[in-house]
Amino acid sequence: METFALSEPVLLVLLSLAEQPRHGYSILKDVESMSGGRVLLSTGTLYGALQRLLNNGWIERVEEEETPRDRRTYRLTTRGLRNLQMEIERMRHLTKMAALRTARKEA
Amino acid sequence: MLTVYRWMLCLYPWSYRDEFGEEMTSVFHEARSALPSALAAKISFYRREFCGLLSGALCAHFDRRFGPAIPFPRFDMQPQFRFPRSTVFLMLVIFAGVVLTIAKASSVAGDTLGLAWRSLASVLVFVLLSTCSVAAVVWGILHIRRRSGVHRLDRQLRDHRPVDPDCAFGASSNGSS
Repeated sequence: METFALSEPVLLVLLSLAEQPRHGYSILKDVESMSGGRVLLSTGTLYGALQRLLNNGWIERVEEEETPRDRRTYRLTTRGLRNLQMEIERMRHLTKMAALRTARKEA
Repeated sequence: MLTVYRWMLCLYPWSYRDEFGEEMTSVFHEARSALPSALAAKISFYRREFCGLLSGALCAHFDRRFGPAIPFPRFDMQPQFRFPRSTVFLMLVIFAGVVLTIAKASSVAGDTLGLAWRSLASVLVFVLLSTCSVAAVVWGILHIRRRSGVHRLDRQLRDHRPVDPDCAFGASSNGSS
């Protein structure tokens, strides 16, 4: 399996969308809330990430007729969810290994 | 401030602006409305927003011109690393300019250190030119590789694997997106 690592803002954006489809401002606030106010995304950073995620097919726009153009909703695709799960698995393995190593050091 | 924000959106490529401009303005407006009244929070917000816009616009132009197949994908999405890649080069040029100016001033003023400054300036110029040459060669290799279609072949090969590593954000991916 090829391993990869997501940056923290992208991981938080994906986690935010994993819960439910959201629009831009909702993602911004959710990321801030999830990180305990540590990660504050600017609109430039957020939409840069969204554009790349859209281009890679990790997320998609929810097509709704009554949705205004300035408040479009995004959701995770199957591909995005699969890649997010891989990343979570990678992090789980990393934390497990870190716990083992530090425990060995303490012993 | 909303007008300034809209004006700054013009820094983005037209296609990007057309796709995200209205949304970005709307999100900026909402975020600004929810700001606390503290001056520090406001300053921090505007600084973050305008720095994000500037670096985002530069990245968008860079991606449009050279494609997103440039390495360092992990750093791309981290706000603290979102500076244009030409920054290092520009900083070197500015630094060399400052050193040369000091050297010139010293020699004009008859400073005894003038000779030392000139030597130092020569060394710095040499280092600068060497760095630029190496950077140009590396950039050329990356550019030729991208033009040759090797990345497309890599992508095709990856797409046939059971696991989908076609990831613009992966540390070990080829930087494709």
